[in-house]
Amino acid sequence: MTVNDLLKVEGFSSVVLCEADREIQGVYIGDLLSWVMGRAKSGDAWITIMSNVNTLAVATLADTSCIILAEGVSLDEGVKETAQAKGINVISTPLSSYSAALKLYSVLKL
Amino acid sequence: MKELSLNILDISKNSVKAGATLTEILLDETDSVLTLTIRDNGCGMKKEMVASVTDPFTTTRTTRSVGMGIPLLKLAAEMTGGSFEIKSKHESEYPDNHGTVVTAVFNKNHIDFTPLGDIPSSITTLIQGSPDTDFLFKHTLTSGQVGVDTRELRKTLGDVPLDTFEVILWIEEYLKEQYEALK
Repeated sequence: MTVNDLLKVEGFSSVVLCEADREIQGVYIGDLLSWVMGRAKSGDAWITIMSNVNTLAVATLADTSCIILAEGVSLDEGVKETAQAKGINVISTPLSSYSAALKLYSVLKL
Repeated sequence: MKELSLNILDISKNSVKAGATLTEILLDETDSVLTLTIRDNGCGMKKEMVASVTDPFTTTRTTRSVGMGIPLLKLAAEMTGGSFEIKSKHESEYPDNHGTVVTAVFNKNHIDFTPLGDIPSSITTLIQGSPDTDFLFKHTLTSGQVGVDTRELRKTLGDVPLDTFEVILWIEEYLKEQYEALK
C-alpha cells in the first residue's frame, strides 16, 4: 500500500504530500524522538503526536514512508514548509495512535 | 532521551570532539529548577555554525559531526517550559579563550521533565571514553554537592591512566557514595 492509497482511507488526510507513491512497509508508534530514531525502520508509517522540526529530522534519518500525526495534531506553518522542502510525507488523523494503528492493520494486510 | 544523563553524555562528546582539554559539566538544582551547563575549551564554533546547530537538519544529512544531541536537549528543556542557550567563541577569533557553553534550564515539576537518570554511570563512561582529556563534574543540590575533577585524580594517580579498570570502577563508586551520603 502506498501513502496515496492510505489517504483514500477514511480518517487520514494529507498535510504535506511529497512522495505519494512511497510504499508503506510497516508501522511504528512513538513520541520520544531519540527512542524512535534508533527503532523506526525504513518504509515505516510513523504514528506520533510530536510535531516539531525534530520530528521531521527523525523521519528523515529513519527514512520512514510518512509521519502520521494522531489525535488531530497539526503542523505549524514553518514546520510544514520544512517538511515540503525536505520532501517528507505528513498525514493527519483525528484518531488516537492506537485506533490509527488498528486501522492501518486492517488496510495494510502486512 | 529517556534520561537526561544520556543527553549529557552525548553533548559532552561534542566537546571532546572539538578538542577540549577541559570539559565542565555542571548541574545546579533547586526544588523546582534544574540548570545544566556544559562548558568546554575546545575549538569553538563560528557564528553561522552556532546558529545552525539547533537545527536538526544541518546536523543530520551528510555531515553528522554534531548529531541530534543539541536539538533534542533543546526540545527536552523547552518541553518543561524551560530554556536553552548556546554560546561559542571560535579559535580563529579568540585564540586565547575559545570554547563553547551550552545551558539548558528545566522546570523539574513539569510532567514532561525527563529524569536525570544514572549520572555516576554516564560521567564514568565519559571519562573512560576520553581518558586523556579532563572533566570537571559538579552537581549542586539543596542537600549538598557531588563532584569529581579528573585533574585532581591525576595528581594522585601519577602515571596511572584514568581508563584503568580499577580507576574507572573507583570513580563510579566514588560518585555513587557521594549521592548516597546526601540521602
